Amino acid sequence: MEKSLFRYIWTHSKRDQLFICFVVLLSQPFYFISLDLPRQIVNQAIQGEAFKDGNVTAPFLELGFDWPQWLGGGSVQIFEGFQVGRIGLLIGLSCLFLFFVVVNNGFKYWVNVSKGVLGERMLRRMRFDLFAMVLRFTPEALRTVKSSETATIIKDEVEPIGGFIGDAFITPVLLGLQASTALFFIMVQNVWLGLMALGVIALQFTIIPRLRRELLRLGKQRQLASRELAGRIGEVLDGIEVVHVHNAYAWERAEIGNRLFGLFNIRLKIYNRKFAVKFLNNFLSQVTPFLFYAVGGYFALRGTLDIGQLVAVISAYRELPPPLKELIDWDQQRLDVQVKYDQVTQHFAEERLGPMIEPKEEEEDAPLVGSLTAENLCLSGSHGDTIIDNASFSLGLPAKVALISNGSPAASMMARVLARRIPNFSGRICFGDRDLAQLPASVAGRRIAYAGVDPILFPGSIRDNLIYGLRTKPMGQSEEDRREAARRLAEAARSGNPFESISDQWVDYRRVGVKDEQELDRVLVSLLERVEMGEAIYLFGLVGRIDPERHTALAERLVEARSRLRENFRSNGMADLVEPFDLDRYNDQSTVAENLLFGVPVSGEFMGRNLALNPQFRSAIDKAELTDDLTTMGLQIAETMTEIFQGLPPGHPLFAQFSFIGADELPEFQAILRRRARGATDLKQEARTRLLALPLAYIEARHRLGLLDDDLKKRIVETRSLVRETLEKGFATGVEFYDPERICSAAPLRDNLLFGRVNYQVADARHRVAEAIAAVIREFDLLEDVERIGLDHEVGTAGRLLSPQERASVNLVRCLVKRPDIMIIDGALAPFDEERAERILQALFDYLDQQSLFMVLPNDRQAAAFDVQIRVSDGRIVTEKTAGPQGRAPKPGAEAAQSVAGEVA
Amino acid sequence: MTLETEVQSLRQVPMFRDIDPARLKLLAFTSERVQFATGQRFFSQGDPSDAAYVLLDGRASVLLNTPNGEIQVAELSSNALVGEMGILSDTPRSATIMAAEPTTALRIDKRVFLELLAQFPQMSLAVMRELAQRLERTNAQLVAQSSS
Repeated sequence: MEKSLFRYIWTHSKRDQLFICFVVLLSQPFYFISLDLPRQIVNQAIQGEAFKDGNVTAPFLELGFDWPQWLGGGSVQIFEGFQVGRIGLLIGLSCLFLFFVVVNNGFKYWVNVSKGVLGERMLRRMRFDLFAMVLRFTPEALRTVKSSETATIIKDEVEPIGGFIGDAFITPVLLGLQASTALFFIMVQNVWLGLMALGVIALQFTIIPRLRRELLRLGKQRQLASRELAGRIGEVLDGIEVVHVHNAYAWERAEIGNRLFGLFNIRLKIYNRKFAVKFLNNFLSQVTPFLFYAVGGYFALRGTLDIGQLVAVISAYRELPPPLKELIDWDQQRLDVQVKYDQVTQHFAEERLGPMIEPKEEEEDAPLVGSLTAENLCLSGSHGDTIIDNASFSLGLPAKVALISNGSPAASMMARVLARRIPNFSGRICFGDRDLAQLPASVAGRRIAYAGVDPILFPGSIRDNLIYGLRTKPMGQSEEDRREAARRLAEAARSGNPFESISDQWVDYRRVGVKDEQELDRVLVSLLERVEMGEAIYLFGLVGRIDPERHTALAERLVEARSRLRENFRSNGMADLVEPFDLDRYNDQSTVAENLLFGVPVSGEFMGRNLALNPQFRSAIDKAELTDDLTTMGLQIAETMTEIFQGLPPGHPLFAQFSFIGADELPEFQAILRRRARGATDLKQEARTRLLALPLAYIEARHRLGLLDDDLKKRIVETRSLVRETLEKGFATGVEFYDPERICSAAPLRDNLLFGRVNYQVADARHRVAEAIAAVIREFDLLEDVERIGLDHEVGTAGRLLSPQERASVNLVRCLVKRPDIMIIDGALAPFDEERAERILQALFDYLDQQSLFMVLPNDRQAAAFDVQIRVSDGRIVTEKTAGPQGRAPKPGAEAAQSVAGEVA
Repeated sequence: MTLETEVQSLRQVPMFRDIDPARLKLLAFTSERVQFATGQRFFSQGDPSDAAYVLLDGRASVLLNTPNGEIQVAELSSNALVGEMGILSDTPRSATIMAAEPTTALRIDKRVFLELLAQFPQMSLAVMRELAQRLERTNAQLVAQSSS
């Protein structure tokens, strides 16, 4: 990026800046006319100067101008105007005034919008440029760059710069013009007074910026300190586990507290300084009128200065300070923003960035097979220690290669060199006659895949993560509103942003050898099965949600499968395992809330305890006269809970797992109970709501407090329709109601199949139900659909919603689905136990039949299965061909039937 | 049957006899009531010990694996506690328990039970007392056997 902010702004927005400037200048005459009109209205129309010679009418809208004396004088009339009377002139001039007000405000509106849009466009460009540079950080720079600091820079620090851009050129031009006009006017009236004003202005413009230099230094400090604060908060959050483990709360609190104190101190200094400068500035601007009065007055009294001139000078001077003040403010802002800009560009200094990654059209792209040769390879570690010293080797590809280094990181570094993760080595590595270092990024990205020990996942679905490597460029355009698309493209062009839309078709199906999303999903699932994640995907599918719009066919089949499952339960004597949802019967295995709603809450206001606060729900149960019964239930629950959970320390796991009442709420409920025990019959509204919330989570079969009798159950069932009616009448869309003939998209797929709740009181029910569900899914051939829904499962921030093994599996499949010529595995199997790692390795051997596999091994134990062994030790590389690779399973014939079951949570 | 009746049953178990009613209620509340059909196994010999059971209703047989197949060595009826040794000593199940008729039991989860013992010394003492008494009885039986 340009070193100077102004050059950056000028380079990218000169056309817009000039145009806005032009419009601003164009607007000035209108502005002056509108300032002049009130005088005319008073003088000409009201005081009647236009009619002073006894004229009955005066010209209105007369257009003309006088030639100055030195051009010979005289006047030119363009339009002689309409002859109107006094009232006519008054109304006419007033309407003209209104017209100019509108025109002026129109100009102002346009200029403000244009400045705002210009600023936003530049901000967009700047943020994008910065992000593009983020992608170019060198590995060395990445060791010191903090992610949260970079995020603050791109998000917050450039924001004020964007606000300034619109004013960068226009403000000084406009204000400078205004100030010099006023100054010129003073000069014309009296040169000496003019020079005096000029002198004070010169003083202001030299002293104030000097005093503000300290302010800038402080501003710089503040920016760095707040950036570091953001960085520190990010670090603590990322490493929160260590904070918990080592009980470092006090330290971290003190650390942040100190930083905040530092920030406060800087801020305090800034305030003191800032307002001192402001004081001086105001003082200096008031000194000039003082001089005018004192000196000018003196000369006037002495008779050397005309009083009229003095008054004119003083009134002209009134026009001077506001633009000057704004100009000085603008200058301050300019320096401020320039400092910010410098800080930003320093963070993205050229030496921290790698070369530009320019996508080139159609590079030569051939499989990386044939010979792999390394010549004079030298590689040093992070401490300058020699890892590989002038080593050469060659081998033929495709091959299965083991990289072994008996404990040292040398093999892993060799793998990273091959994966182009370590660019600074000397020597040459070639595939045939193509140099590894010279391979274009697109070819390397497509032909080489690297799975390291730390699987990096992005938030999103498992599918999104798996196909991450297939999204190199848009393969086709999506249907987009043409006008909207044209606008999007035009804006992208104006702000130097990319033209590709993320709604385009990015996934390269052809590379995977499939033709559409469905086939791709099938490939993904089969790959996941190879790396031991098939069952997890199935279980994710069971807890996943179905979108009836997207999965229309599946939704219909599920309703069929639902009734088949019910029949199966009935015919196998398992009817007591699941209590189905029945509109006319109370479900003992469900909560009271679910029984009342007979549906699944979608929005937060109907979930959990919030339900008790919802006015529509409350009015329905009030109408059904259930409120008192539920409150009584709440009282009983509160009594039992306070009795049995008393004495457990707050935060005890049993609280979270079993209690209706959190440990911190216990005293409040105890207080409610005490008040009642003392004989208070009426409860406060708030206490009633709290009590009412308790029974909503009560499940008779699970909690067994014996609070529900048949009569109450019957009344709850009868209230269902009332609740539904009330909610529907209030257009509440927060609940999706159960319907035996339809899919409930708010409930997980498994619940949709069961359409009921598993009986808490039958031993081993969950396991048996899971098996029955698996049987029905197989029978209806729904396995693939379920697994596809499993692919929608969210992985969470950094994949934290997955287990380490699942993360590793996703990482491997993300590599495999690209069908790389060279697959490099560097510790990616570490999370698996030995047995599973062995199975996965076999699966990789099978899958990468025609491709090369490089795998870092900690020791020789598994090496026999590879074709070639590369040993890296003491700086030397020894390659060794395995005579006949052993331990590789023969090609499996038919795929073994896989079992799907798993516990239903 | 409600929590109260379960507490009554727990009170009949020697190990829990001296425990506060509130604690017994907590124990009952944090346990699950499960029904076993005739012939359904609570657990099998060799399984990892994950829970203890208190029979509330019905009968269950204690079976041991022998070279000649499973043989019944005892029968349990209401208010019997079974499986507690396994969760205390963290060893696999030493016998199989099978419902002899439709049986209802209270399933006390191992983790929850140990949490409660760790939290309430009174409960730990009651368990220790019961175990000590069992040891004493066994010793007495051994003495009786060796002297006969």
